[in-house]
Amino acid sequence: MSTTTERRTTSAPPRRTVVDVVVSALRSAPLTIPLILVAAALSFATSRFLTLGNLENVLVAASIIVIPGLAMTLCITMGEFDLSVGSTVALTGVITCTVIADGAHGLVGMLAGLVTGALVGVLNGLVITRFGVTPFIATLATMVIVRGAATALSGGRDVIVNDPTLKYMAAGRPLGIPMPIVLAVLALAVMLWVTYRTRFGRHVAAIGSNRDAAHLSGLPVDRIRLAVYVMIGVAGAIWGILISAQLQKGSGQLGLGFELDAITIVVIGGTSLLGGHAAVMGTVIGALLIETIRNGLNLLNVPPAYQRISVGLLLVAALAIQAIRRKAPVEVLDDKP
Amino acid sequence: MTSPDLTTAPTPPASDPSRPGRRLDFGSFWDTWGITSVLVLLVLVAVATTPDFLAISNLQSILRESAYLGIVACAMTVLIINGAFDLSVGGQLALVSVLTLFAYGVGGTGLAVVTALAAGTACGMVNGFLVTALRVPPFVATLGMLFVFRGIAYLLTQNGPATLPYTEVDSPFAQIGSLNLALVPFPFVLMVVVFGLAYVLLRRTPTGRRIVAFGSSPVAARFSGVSAARIRFVVFALVGLAVGIATLTYITRVWTADGAAQDGFELSVITAAVLGGASLQGGRGSLVGTFSAVLLVTVLNDVLVAHGVDASYQNIILGTVLIIALAIDGLRTRFAGVNLLRRSFGPRTPKAA
Repeated sequence: MSTTTERRTTSAPPRRTVVDVVVSALRSAPLTIPLILVAAALSFATSRFLTLGNLENVLVAASIIVIPGLAMTLCITMGEFDLSVGSTVALTGVITCTVIADGAHGLVGMLAGLVTGALVGVLNGLVITRFGVTPFIATLATMVIVRGAATALSGGRDVIVNDPTLKYMAAGRPLGIPMPIVLAVLALAVMLWVTYRTRFGRHVAAIGSNRDAAHLSGLPVDRIRLAVYVMIGVAGAIWGILISAQLQKGSGQLGLGFELDAITIVVIGGTSLLGGHAAVMGTVIGALLIETIRNGLNLLNVPPAYQRISVGLLLVAALAIQAIRRKAPVEVLDDKP
Repeated sequence: MTSPDLTTAPTPPASDPSRPGRRLDFGSFWDTWGITSVLVLLVLVAVATTPDFLAISNLQSILRESAYLGIVACAMTVLIINGAFDLSVGGQLALVSVLTLFAYGVGGTGLAVVTALAAGTACGMVNGFLVTALRVPPFVATLGMLFVFRGIAYLLTQNGPATLPYTEVDSPFAQIGSLNLALVPFPFVLMVVVFGLAYVLLRRTPTGRRIVAFGSSPVAARFSGVSAARIRFVVFALVGLAVGIATLTYITRVWTADGAAQDGFELSVITAAVLGGASLQGGRGSLVGTFSAVLLVTVLNDVLVAHGVDASYQNIILGTVLIIALAIDGLRTRFAGVNLLRRSFGPRTPKAA
């Protein structure tokens, strides 16, 4: 184990400063320019876009989605997906709100939510690593199960709460900065560190590049995969807590389709679906881009249907551009001999 | 990687002496008939515990209900065997439903049927184009198009869902969903026909052989001159066509559609295919299995509803069934394993028959 680590460390590039990491990560995020263009266009199109209050709305929305997005980045870097994260949002919201509605302190409710998320992650991880079920299918099944559990627990009704601690998570302003933004910045710092600076992050990328090779070089592959699924579970729980804090309710219907949102921001951010390469800053830009577009379309009174269409087209276009730029088939789909 | 019993590769000509006969162990039995056995078991339980299960009307409603899921799951199985999958079928179903209802309002039954088939195929071709010409991975291409198709369906129904007016109850179009052919619901007949055609396609045509070949080993298929892109494009278009056919049976049963129609349909479809034994790695899948899995899901829902089980528990049970089925599969490959079985029973001699 230790020899493996030493070999890896010596072959790794020289240590970079934080600034280097951020700059190179920004450069590797292909969406920076589209984001600037969209923001500029919106500033001209509507006077309401470039106001402090509105920009804050965009940032808060992007912050809420980026937390699970960052965990999903790690999972996709490993070459896998977690489709159950939207259901984790629902279950966490229901459990947090139920515990609070039963008279517990807000913190206890949130802790219960976080534990729930971690347990969903353990469930995913165990099914995937112990039973050898494909992640796509395993998390598809847990997605259905977990949402079913959320609906069953809430009896199909909204669990409404009015809790100052929970409210603080959505509306609180430590140092004048909205709480979701604070959390997102913390999450980003942790994820940048984990992904680019720790052994764990390198191991995740190694599994993504070639799982068999990673296994043969002695990495505890299954334990790492399990850990990543637990991280997504916890991130999904934070997502659920923030959403139910905003709405002051939990419901089995929350977070429908959220898994696709989370995957979308990661993929348009430039993290390869084939695994092995994490674009952490790309995910941040992806979240900003999606939320800017949504916000802009709202301000321009464009029907929500167009938001769906534009997100879908953006996703496809981003990947098509990636594939064309790489000039290599994304998979072995080459017609010519 | 391909042991004969793990693939749906077309049976090679009998003159090939080097190939051992079909092995009869638990593994190969489970692969082909596992889910069907579970279905039989479930039906026995249903008959024993649910008084009205065997009523003609209940059986008819199960078969009618299974048709649209089955038709799409059949095409999806072919696509999964080819090594891809389509997450946009729910969006396609919503969009094609809306368009079909509009077309019926304009031009009656004929135009509606043509529209359903044409619109479905067109959706499939868009996916195929993205995947083959623009080389977008199927997961992302079809995920993006799921948003797009649903978005367009929402857009078209902004002023309220598209509906089939109640006055049309006797029109030939509405009959598609309600007609019975000698007690068998017409949608189910359509589903059987679709499965039959898919079987013939996979087993009896060169195209089918290429679909399987590319799914089992893309590299080998390429070296033997299989045009992967063209084949995959065709399969995506076929999935679209299947959605078109399924729409006809779906929309004439529910009579209304908007952008939210059949939310999560893609997951039921993939679940059915995977329960039936299809592997998302490609090259492996079973039409018989998918057929049984579709009926299994529908029967399970029917039984749970009959016993008054809440919809949320239905989902929990369905998801658990899926995980158990896959865990059995995964554990078998890991522990029992084809190798272990071979070792315990020695090398097999080709069977005479």
